[in-house]
Amino acid sequence: MNKRLMIAGALLALAGCATDPVPDEQLRLTEQAIEQARAVGAADDSVPLADALSKAARARADLADQNNKAARMALEQAELDARLAEANELTRKSREQLAQMNARIQRLHKQLGDVQ
Amino acid sequence: MKPASTLLRPVLGAWLVLGLAGCANHATDEALAQASAKFQAVRDNTEVLRHAPKDVIRAGESLARAERLSGYWGANGDVRHYAYLSMRYTDIALAHSEAAANLDQLQRRGLERERLQLALRESKLLSVQRQGQWFEDQLLALTTTDADRGLVLTLGDVLFDTGEADLKPSANRTLLKLVQFLQMNPRRVIRIEGYTDSTGAAEDNLKLSRDRAQAVADMLVDLGVEERRIEVEGYGDQYPVEANATERGRALNRRVEIVISDRAGALGEKRQ
Repeated sequence: MNKRLMIAGALLALAGCATDPVPDEQLRLTEQAIEQARAVGAADDSVPLADALSKAARARADLADQNNKAARMALEQAELDARLAEANELTRKSREQLAQMNARIQRLHKQLGDVQ
Repeated sequence: MKPASTLLRPVLGAWLVLGLAGCANHATDEALAQASAKFQAVRDNTEVLRHAPKDVIRAGESLARAERLSGYWGANGDVRHYAYLSMRYTDIALAHSEAAANLDQLQRRGLERERLQLALRESKLLSVQRQGQWFEDQLLALTTTDADRGLVLTLGDVLFDTGEADLKPSANRTLLKLVQFLQMNPRRVIRIEGYTDSTGAAEDNLKLSRDRAQAVADMLVDLGVEERRIEVEGYGDQYPVEANATERGRALNRRVEIVISDRAGALGEKRQ
């Protein structure tokens, strides 16, 4: 009995991924994060978003193979890749705005110098 | 209840099998060390903590999980996974923090910009006023000061054909300056006085002088000066500036004079 349990446990551990639930919620979160990144203007071929897209695609293949654990992990990483893509895009925009503002201020200083 | 050892046995068995699959390997240690170093850097950064506290906390939680799992055999994949998540959270925290700091600075610089815009407007206004002074100086250079009448601008004979009251185009320059001057000095008023030489009948001369003064007034009105600011007088051949004996003297006597009031709008006495 004990021996059988041990073998069963070992097999379960080996095939552990198969016992993971289907990561529906994580799939939703990941897709939402990808959409959000696209919505702020991140390009599909920009580095972290491209990672997110390829991992999401891999996760779908894993789901089709009923490899739920691998799918969940890929989706979790893809979600954060997408969120980083979004954050990077927002940061890039804020840098641009700041640079534009600094240019305007510089122009004002120059004009003030000209007038005086 | 079964003794704990019986319950643990299958778990121990599983560990043994998993242990064969993967000892802690170099790549995992490296991922863990990298995630840990990254996290240390943001954990001590008060700016990042202030702007993105949640992401820093999640980076810490993921890292703790990776470290805990690294104590188990066969968990290499999971360790690397959580180390990866931790690094991503750290990067996200850094990006959010930079964006927030940029927006803070943007707001401060926006205020600075408004202040500079105001200063620029004020200095431009000042320069426009100086320019107004320049126009005024230009016009005043064309005038003479008469003891009785004040400022007098003389439009010479060349502005009219002999016997005609129509203004020649060469008068435009002076009149435009006068219009500009009157626009910048809205309280000043003018009296336009026409004069002729002594050739011809006195009555004709009176009419001609008046018509010429009126022609100038009409032009000024056309250029935008309000009629109520303009008086028109014809003096015929009275008040010559030179003897009418010579052609040069007669030419100087054929003229239109524009008397300009003081700043408050008070004109000198009318000639009788």
